[in-house]
Amino acid sequence: MLINQSDNIKKDIDKSQLGSLTRQQLRELEEKEKTRGQKILDGIIMVLPLICGGAAMLEYWMVPNGSPNKNPYTYVGFLGVLIAAYFLYFLAALVKKIRGDKTVLDRLRYRAPLFSALFLLLAGYDYLTLKTGVLAQPFVPCMNYIINIAWIDRAYLFECTLHTLRLLFLGYFIGITLGLVTGITCGYSEKVRYWINPVIKFLGPIPTSTWIPIVMVIATSLFKGAVFIIALGSWFAVTVASMTGISNVDKDFFDAARTLGASNRQLVFRVAIPHAMPSILQGCTQAMSSACVAIMIAEMMGVKAGLGWYMNWAKSWAAYDKMFAALFVICLIFTIVTKVLELIKKRVLRWQNGVVK
Amino acid sequence: MAENNITLELNNVSKSFAKVENDEVTHALNSIDLTLRGGEFISLVGPSGCGKSTILRLVAGLINPTTGKITVDGKEILKPSPERGMMFQKSTLFPWLTVEKNIAFSLKMQGKLKGNEDKVERMLKVIGLESFRNDYPGQLSGGMAQRVALMRSLINEPDILLLDEPLGALDAFTRMNMQDEILKIWQENGQLAIMVTHDVDEAIYMGTRVIVMDANPGRIVADIKIREGYPRDRSSETFVAYRNEILNRLHFGGGR
Repeated sequence: MLINQSDNIKKDIDKSQLGSLTRQQLRELEEKEKTRGQKILDGIIMVLPLICGGAAMLEYWMVPNGSPNKNPYTYVGFLGVLIAAYFLYFLAALVKKIRGDKTVLDRLRYRAPLFSALFLLLAGYDYLTLKTGVLAQPFVPCMNYIINIAWIDRAYLFECTLHTLRLLFLGYFIGITLGLVTGITCGYSEKVRYWINPVIKFLGPIPTSTWIPIVMVIATSLFKGAVFIIALGSWFAVTVASMTGISNVDKDFFDAARTLGASNRQLVFRVAIPHAMPSILQGCTQAMSSACVAIMIAEMMGVKAGLGWYMNWAKSWAAYDKMFAALFVICLIFTIVTKVLELIKKRVLRWQNGVVK
Repeated sequence: MAENNITLELNNVSKSFAKVENDEVTHALNSIDLTLRGGEFISLVGPSGCGKSTILRLVAGLINPTTGKITVDGKEILKPSPERGMMFQKSTLFPWLTVEKNIAFSLKMQGKLKGNEDKVERMLKVIGLESFRNDYPGQLSGGMAQRVALMRSLINEPDILLLDEPLGALDAFTRMNMQDEILKIWQENGQLAIMVTHDVDEAIYMGTRVIVMDANPGRIVADIKIREGYPRDRSSETFVAYRNEILNRLHFGGGR
């Protein structure tokens, strides 16, 4: 039934209606007909994550443990949630496809091998830790331990996460705000550039972590010191990016805007800044990665809260499962933050999409 | 034909540029005297370096003359103004704004957009791009982009329309179409249009007056009135005669 659907779409499009084709229909029309073998292969690949999930589950239950395991059902639940999530995704994609939109299913087909690999990776990790101890327990704890401890310590982990986010965003926003101001004024005004450029050239190449010992001594509170360090790194990235962006604006755009009655202020805000936007956002992305590095160093070296501190603290108590739990939370947060930034960028720069030439 | 009665005067205008690499000075224009009136379509032709684009930029107010004075109805031009619309060879549409917002740009900058949305609508209609209103310039073809640029500079109903090789980057067919479109708009509004071009045929086809320039220093060598109605026939005898005369003035004549 699935397979017949795309044939139906093709029949629905009469050649005489070419004028009213949508992009999606056009793509389907131009796409090469898949052979029966390819279609079957696609089907198998899309079901594969479920099979691999099942295999991971079997591996966990059937292979005898090499070391004692407490609360064994947590990992089962975790795997179960992942498998169920994929299953629901698959179902939703199928429903969409039956209603005529095959983009979701195409994307699922594209991602399915990765999902399969994830389940195999989990199974392999479990085998190397809990089952055989090739990765020695408790130094590299098995997944079940990590999830258990993350759940038990959730309130504290959550508190640490909030602290990290607060510090990260405070420093980041202060940094990019100041960076925008200096970058834009420098890009636009020769006089300001004269004074600021040497400062950037001098301070720029120094890695932000270099400042940490000094800040620890000078700053009135460690939190403020950390904010300063994160802001400094972000400031630098955004300043350089927006300065280049602004000074690269094509002079013709200014000429055109002036003949259209734009004032000097409008030249900055309506022409220079929008034109430099791709560069500015690139700087903001760079600033985020520099901020992520800076915050972890700051938390591990001095700040007495946050996920970086939690990891270090867990290590000193030999609570390796806690250490890994924090590591996963850190991964998750930074992934989400980067993804959100990417979405914002895509939205703001949508005029760059679909350029014909 | 609606006509305005403005007079644009260039009085002994010279413009020199300092070279970047050495102490020399380029004399782009040397004591130009010109009187142009509303309703005229002026074609400026000449080899590169003869200062024809410099004249446009001076009239636009983007640069100021080294000596001399440029006046509109006696008032000196000191800075750009929406009353003098300008269209460039390169598409200068703002790529981050949609077609509609590009056209509305000037009204918005002057704080006049409210209550004038119908003007934007009319401009879109004139070029038949209503269905492209929400597209970005990157999605348009070269001809469409130049049409939008023309409308963007016309939305203020300028008395003077400056065209800096507006069709230079277009293919031959689009170019001929656009020539007729520009002529139509000019005939309806009766502005003073000044167009820079490299193309002698285009200059004769469109202009009521062809001003021939030469370089080193930039100066006017001929000011030829084209006494023929529109639309003009590119292969008529008078057309060919005008062409020969202009080519002669540019030292390309003789062989024909």
